[in-house]
Amino acid sequence: MPTNKFYTSVRNTLARELRRMVSRPIYFISTVVIMSFTYVFFLTFFNEGQPNRMPIGVVDLDNSSLSRQFTRNLEVTQHSHIVMRLNSHKEAREEMQRGNIYAFVEIKHNFAKDAISNLRPTLTFYVNDAYLIAGSLINKDITYMSAATSIGMQQKVLRAKGVEESRIMGIIQPIVLDAHLIGNPWANYGTYLLNVILPAILQLMVLMMTVFPIGVEFKERTSREWFNNSGKCFSGALTGKLLPYTVIFTLVGVIGNMILYKYMHYPLNSSIGWMFLATFLLVLATQAIGILFIGITPVLRDGVTFSGVFGMLGVTFAGATFPIEQMPAGTRIFSYFFPMHHYFEIYVNQALNGVGVRYSFIYFVALLCFLALPVIVFTRLKKAAINQNFPIK
Amino acid sequence: MNIQQKIPLLKEAVLIFNDTVNVIKSELRTMFKDRGVVIMLVLAPLAYPILYCSLYKSETLIDVPMAAVDCSRSQESRELLRHLDATQSLHIAGTYSTLAEAKQAYNEQKVHGVVYIPADFSKNLNTGHQTTVSIYADISSFMYYRIINQACSNCVLDMSNQIQVKRLNANGITGEPATIVSNPIPYEGVVLYNEGAGFASFLMPSVLILIIFQTLFLGIGIIAGTSRGENRFHVLVSSSVHRGGTIRVILGKGFCYFVLYAAWSFFVLMIIPRVFNLPHIGIPYDIMMLMVPFLLASVFFSMTISVFMPHRETSMIIFMFMSLILLFLSGVSWPQSNINGFWKTFSWILPSTNGTQGYIKINTMGADLQHISFEYISLWIQTVVYFATTYWAYRWQIEKSSRKSLKTSEI
Repeated sequence: MPTNKFYTSVRNTLARELRRMVSRPIYFISTVVIMSFTYVFFLTFFNEGQPNRMPIGVVDLDNSSLSRQFTRNLEVTQHSHIVMRLNSHKEAREEMQRGNIYAFVEIKHNFAKDAISNLRPTLTFYVNDAYLIAGSLINKDITYMSAATSIGMQQKVLRAKGVEESRIMGIIQPIVLDAHLIGNPWANYGTYLLNVILPAILQLMVLMMTVFPIGVEFKERTSREWFNNSGKCFSGALTGKLLPYTVIFTLVGVIGNMILYKYMHYPLNSSIGWMFLATFLLVLATQAIGILFIGITPVLRDGVTFSGVFGMLGVTFAGATFPIEQMPAGTRIFSYFFPMHHYFEIYVNQALNGVGVRYSFIYFVALLCFLALPVIVFTRLKKAAINQNFPIK
Repeated sequence: MNIQQKIPLLKEAVLIFNDTVNVIKSELRTMFKDRGVVIMLVLAPLAYPILYCSLYKSETLIDVPMAAVDCSRSQESRELLRHLDATQSLHIAGTYSTLAEAKQAYNEQKVHGVVYIPADFSKNLNTGHQTTVSIYADISSFMYYRIINQACSNCVLDMSNQIQVKRLNANGITGEPATIVSNPIPYEGVVLYNEGAGFASFLMPSVLILIIFQTLFLGIGIIAGTSRGENRFHVLVSSSVHRGGTIRVILGKGFCYFVLYAAWSFFVLMIIPRVFNLPHIGIPYDIMMLMVPFLLASVFFSMTISVFMPHRETSMIIFMFMSLILLFLSGVSWPQSNINGFWKTFSWILPSTNGTQGYIKINTMGADLQHISFEYISLWIQTVVYFATTYWAYRWQIEKSSRKSLKTSEI
């Protein structure tokens, strides 16, 4: 009976593969050790959420009560922390080029005097956007404080001119902008990046550990034994071989989800079950791609190279760092070939935005479509396993 | 007597030189005969920069589709929406009558944000009260949120300032006094080194350095893994060379990698930024001076680690994922000042951290060598330390190899 034969062959291969897995440390390292290291690294790295109290400098040539008040106010903003007071623009610029400060404020001579005598002194600040994240966060803080100082001045003048108190704010700031960030109101960098980077590293390792266990059989000329051991049922041999990795990586991925959504309490606006399902399908789809790669060239080194390139591009093509639709034309089509892209869309819909699962349905289907890929190379891989006719290097 | 001493010395020098040249020759042969190594050490450093620079070449987002919910339907609200639509960053893709409808469009990913103008917008503006405009921004990519927030803030502020002057006039404050009251302390934010706040200008320089570092590291790992995997005794150095002494082996191999990567550095760090219009205000001489210790430290660091690679695939399987970790450790996206003590110390072990920081400071921020003395000196220290570790690791391998071959010959 074919079903029975398939079952036996899976069982035989599974037993053989488990023995192989304990024979060399690389199996343990690239499944458990690397993923654990990744989790620990990123969770301890982004524990702050946003980079707070970044170093900035002040060039206070005025040294008046107004300028000192302004620096004190800057000191209490979330992102900036005044670490040095400098004597000239040149000195400050050099400190910025050394990377010791990310921004500096320049308060000119007679700043307070000019402000009081209505000469409109300019407050200038310089921000280093070579470090874009640091630069834009600090820029926001200093702009806010400068505006606040200006508003304080305005209030004083308007009161002095006898404008009714209730009308003052209407004059100073007629339109208020009220910004809402959908799903991640704290603009937490950990939430933004870890939801992409952790699954991206997961799929990279899945890809490696699909190509490696199969490829090493070709390299060490043991593929015929692998095939024979399975009772000459190649689909069983393939399933049995990859089953341990499916289980391990799904488990590791689910633990990752639990850490993100349950332990770190990152936004999860629908059932965690959808993320588990997405993780499971990501592992399966990536394994299918791995089979495709090692099937195209049953040479271990080329398989590993393909996997490396594809796995790293997965981060880019997820579309988190830079949106896909704003990349050069045609890139969007490429992104469909990356399981990471579909996983990311599911994450955005389910965890971040919490919309109905029907919006994500298409992405779940897309992930399932990848499972058809091994069919393309099935015969070729089977022949290669039996004939062992590929270069081993 | 003097002459007698000189001749062996000279002979010795010639011998050392010849040995080193032999190592270089055999290393070059292994490098260019092996397809995997050629892909990693030749193709990857040439193709990766072009690929990544092309993908990220847009720098910023243009015409992000937005939904507008205009409950005011007044001249003022239409004006604000027109201004938003006219910005480079935003495009009002659809107007909806309720927030629920706009949310539907957002869920279908037709728009990446919503502008909500309340019904009393015009009334409040005309009666001198404060009014509120709400925006809802997609934060699935921080680029969306940053761009939407920035464009909306600017437009609202512009409109706000115009209204302010009108109101001051209405309160009897006109002319020069009105300008002074409306903006008593003008402020000016100057963005330096990446004036357009471009994404590629910010990220790509660090990616370029990491491409150099990772391909070099993985390439050396493949070479070492291959020779260990294929050799009869599973040792690193082939027997034809090891009589030449450890230093000669290290210098010979190191020289090959260094020269090859000196050429790639020129291509990746000098030509690519000019072709793809990334920041390049650094003095080429300074970049060169930085790259010497960076490449040497990277070569010796890689050679030390490579000794522990038992097979050719090992380094790629185990260390590919480090690319992402190195990117964050380099302290460009998440600022170096805010990396916690443990990981900061860890990052200083790696040549890529100082290499990236040094390159960005020179090339993007126009720093001189004296400004990056910390990175420069650290890289030289790393060069010395990793040369020493390479020496020990190689000598250990070479001695292991000699012992084994001695045993076999006795048998």
